[in-house]
Amino acid sequence: MLDAILLFRDALYGALVIAVACSVLGVYVVLRRIVFVGAALAQLSSAGIALALWLSGQGLMHGLASHPIAFALLLTIAGVLFFGAGSGRGRVPPDATIGVTYAVAAAAGIILISKAKTGEAHDIFLQGNILGITAGDTMTLIAVAVPVLLLHAIFYKEFLFVSFDRETARTLGYNVSFWNLLLYLTLGLVIAFAMQFAGVMLVFNFLVVPAVTGLLVSRGMAGAFFWSVFSAVLAAVIGFSISVPFDLPSGPAIIAVSGVLAVFAYLVRLGQRR
Amino acid sequence: MTELVRFDHATLGYGRRAILSDLTFDIPEGDFLGMVGPNGAGKTTILRAILGTLKPSAGTVTHADGMRFGYVPQRDQVDYNFPLTVIDVVMMGRYDRIGLGRRPGKRDRELAHVALDHVGIADLADQPLNALSGGQKQRTLIARALVGEPNVLILDEPTNGMDLVSTTQILGLVRDLHERNGLTVLMVSHALNEVANYVERIALVVNGGFRIGAVDDIMTHSVLSEMYRIPVDVDSFNGHRIVVARREPQLPPRDNA
Repeated sequence: MLDAILLFRDALYGALVIAVACSVLGVYVVLRRIVFVGAALAQLSSAGIALALWLSGQGLMHGLASHPIAFALLLTIAGVLFFGAGSGRGRVPPDATIGVTYAVAAAAGIILISKAKTGEAHDIFLQGNILGITAGDTMTLIAVAVPVLLLHAIFYKEFLFVSFDRETARTLGYNVSFWNLLLYLTLGLVIAFAMQFAGVMLVFNFLVVPAVTGLLVSRGMAGAFFWSVFSAVLAAVIGFSISVPFDLPSGPAIIAVSGVLAVFAYLVRLGQRR
Repeated sequence: MTELVRFDHATLGYGRRAILSDLTFDIPEGDFLGMVGPNGAGKTTILRAILGTLKPSAGTVTHADGMRFGYVPQRDQVDYNFPLTVIDVVMMGRYDRIGLGRRPGKRDRELAHVALDHVGIADLADQPLNALSGGQKQRTLIARALVGEPNVLILDEPTNGMDLVSTTQILGLVRDLHERNGLTVLMVSHALNEVANYVERIALVVNGGFRIGAVDDIMTHSVLSEMYRIPVDVDSFNGHRIVVARREPQLPPRDNA
């Protein structure tokens, strides 16, 4: 069993980087109630990858087939600018705008990939291909995750203030739009890169479930971040370790473990109240 | 007396839509002003102009040099899902003084405790914010506004949704902060009866109109009836002013025959 896991250790390292980055940002995603913005951004990212592969299959922009991240980033950043600038100020409520983006991006991704000559099966977008992560991919993920996490560590109080009470932050001279946009940009960046390997389902899981676990267990922000990261890493390690020897799909195995940890955290919380 | 904020023929609104026009008034140092009017009348618009987050489309709104506002938002504007303790929230009032990317230090923590002591909840410093009562939450937000050492304390609907006891305690606390510390206070509310018994001046924002003056000058039958466009009586009971809108004349009984 250990041999099988060691064989895929690069994939495990990559999954851990994704787990850490997403679970830190996930605390804001859950607290700010933008869970479905995360899902919509992940779908936009997958639609970007599909678009790159389709264009490449049409004989256009051949190089993009090996670097679909460019299109994934482009569409995700467009989504970030749209949601970060405060979409839905008109007649359409914000959650409806997110729903439209999610549905259209998901459908467009599936249509494009089904017609892409160089594309892979479309379920790869949903499930990802964690086991395919190479040492080089892990380095790319680290190169994205470390600056994002550093930015969040340095400007923790700024991100916290504009998320908790934007009106008061504004009266103290904070450029709330700027900090919101920066938060969304870091979110978009992590999602776009993580999506390539982990798929929509696992990225969405890492953005939501560990944060919920952390918030259930902890009574403070530092604790919420700690337990969110801890449970994401634990779920990645256990899920991965189970999936390789038992020939289970890695992404869903990790998600299942995340779910069990969240239920456990809920029971712990319930026990604390009594 | 130093003027801290001055409106000079200011027109306020959003986009091309003007909500209030030609506003001219001052907020002098040491003022205890209540801004009263129904929801949607433009109180928040004036508040934003005072805070500098809304620019007038005509005229000017000027602030004294080095002005600092201590802003207490409406309680439901704050997200109580965040796992923060009372002291965490109070220290936010010092964030702009601490500077970008820096963490609160020992001095900030000490000042936060002093502010909590000022509002009478020093013992709740380490309690989770979401475990507090409505009145305690409001005191926390007032402490956060005070810890930034403001020139003007601004409270937006501080007694909204509170029972009689909490309302009286919060209004008493605000009056004490004004009287003991000489703090300039602006309190925004829709409850004329509450505010009129605590503040020294009133600004009425009703039906697109604006009137400001000493409480005795504003709280009269003629001014209130003219502003609200219905007959309004002002009386007093045990030294408290009471404003009562006259009842609509009763309809004649329906003839069922």
